[in-house]
Amino acid sequence: MFVLEYSTQLLKQLALLGSGALTTLRIFCLTLLISLPLGLLIALARMAPYKWLNLPVRFYILIMRGTPLILQLIFFYFAPSAILPEGLRFTLPRFTAAIVAFSLNYAAYFAEIYRGGIESISLGQYEAAAVLGFTKSQTFFRIILPQVIKRILPPVSNEVITLVKDTALITVLGITELFRVARNEANRLFSTSPLFIAGLFYLFMNWLVTKVFDAAEKKLSYYR
Amino acid sequence: MEILRVENLYKSFVGTEDVVTGVSFQINEGEVVALIGPSGSGKSTLLRCLTLLEKIDHGAIYVAGEPMVTTSPTGEVNYAPEAVLRKIRLRLGLVFQSFNLFPHFSVLRNITEAPIHVAGIPPAEAEALARQLLAKIGLSDKADAYPYQLSGGQSQRVAIARALAMKPDILFFDEPTSALDPELTGEVLKVIRNLAAEQMTMMVVTHEMAFAREVADRVIFMDKGQIVEEGTPEILFGQPANERTRTFLGNYNLG
Repeated sequence: MFVLEYSTQLLKQLALLGSGALTTLRIFCLTLLISLPLGLLIALARMAPYKWLNLPVRFYILIMRGTPLILQLIFFYFAPSAILPEGLRFTLPRFTAAIVAFSLNYAAYFAEIYRGGIESISLGQYEAAAVLGFTKSQTFFRIILPQVIKRILPPVSNEVITLVKDTALITVLGITELFRVARNEANRLFSTSPLFIAGLFYLFMNWLVTKVFDAAEKKLSYYR
Repeated sequence: MEILRVENLYKSFVGTEDVVTGVSFQINEGEVVALIGPSGSGKSTLLRCLTLLEKIDHGAIYVAGEPMVTTSPTGEVNYAPEAVLRKIRLRLGLVFQSFNLFPHFSVLRNITEAPIHVAGIPPAEAEALARQLLAKIGLSDKADAYPYQLSGGQSQRVAIARALAMKPDILFFDEPTSALDPELTGEVLKVIRNLAAEQMTMMVVTHEMAFAREVADRVIFMDKGQIVEEGTPEILFGQPANERTRTFLGNYNLG
C-alpha cells in the first residue's frame, strides 16, 4: 500500500516537473533561435569599419556581459513601465521579457565567439575568393562562414550548456519553469528530492546538448 | 594582341619597403613573362595591384585595352565602375604562394565553385571542365579528396586548375613554388611549362632562375620598386646590361 502511494506520488511529481521542464525547454529553444542569428549580426556590426556602428555595439556587449543576467531579467520586466516617460510606458508579459533578456544577453556572448571565429580565418581565403570574382556576401556565406562554424562549435557548446542552467534564473520573474516547480514541491513536501530530480532533468538536457554538438563536430570533421 | 598594359604605376604602404615606384610595361597574348628581383623589390606588390587586391596610388592599368584604372592629369586615381571591374576580374587569374585552397570544399568543388556561382556556368559543364583540368594536372584520382589530404605540390596544382577554370586571359603567379619542398617544385613547374606550351599568357614572379630562363619569353628584373632591366632570357641572363642585375644574378648559380 505504502509503495503504491509512494510511486503515484513520484509519478505526479515527475509530471509536474516535466511540465516545468517544457517551459524551460521553450525558453531555451526560443533564446537560441533568436540569439544565434542576432549574435552574427552583432559580430558583423562590431567588426564594421564605422565608428558610429561599432561603438554602440561595443557598449551593448560591455553592458550585457558586464552585469548579472538576473538583473537584466528584472530590468526588462520592470524598466519599461518605470523608466519610460508617461504615455510610453508598457509592461512586457513575463515570458516575453525573459526571452528578450536571454536573447540579448546570449547574443552578446555569441557575437564575441563569432568574431573570434571570423578573425581566425586567414586573409588568404578572402583574397582567393576576391580574385575568383566572388562578391563580398558570396565570400562570407560560401567560404568564410562554413569554416567559422566548424571552429566555433566548442565555445558555442559551452554557452548552450550554460543557457540550459541559466534558465533557472527566470524563476525571479515568477514564471513556472522547472526550477520553480521543484522548489515549490520541495517546500510543500518538506523534502529535497524534487530539487534533486530537477537536477537530473538539467543534466539530461545537457547530455542531449552534448550529444548534438558531438554529432555536429563529427559531421564537420571531414575536413581540416 | 596586347593583354595587359601598365603605365607609370606607383604603390606604397606605410611601414613596408615593398613599394612600386613608376613601373610601366606591357604583356601580349601568349607571352610568358618572368618577374625576378630581390625580396622587397616590389614584385608581389605589383602583382597584387594588377589583380585588384591593392589599390594603386598613381598610374594606369589596361586589360585587353579596357581601362581598369587611370590617373587624371591632376593626379586623381579613377577605377572603373564596379560592374566593369567585375568583368575585368574574370579576365585575371592569380595563383598564390600559399595556395589558399578552400579547406571545406573537395578538390573538385574548389575548381567548380567559381565557374558555377561567379561565371554562371551550368554545374554539369563546370564539373566536366574541372575533371578535364584535373586530368591535365595529373590529379584525376584526387577529385574527391580534401585539401588537407594533398601535398604542397598537389595543392598548388589544384590552385592552378582552380584559376584556369575561370578561363582567364592572363594568369599571374606569385612565387608559386616558394612554399614548397625542393622535391615538389618540379611537378608545379611542369604544369606551368605545359601551359606555356599551350600559349597561355602568364606573368610569373619567381626565384627559380633556371625555370625563368627556360620558360619565359621575356624577363623583367625589378629592384627597389622599379624595373631595372628587361629582355629575352638569353640577353638578361647572358649579358645583363645593368650592374644591379649582374649583382642579383650573381647570387644564383645558373650553371
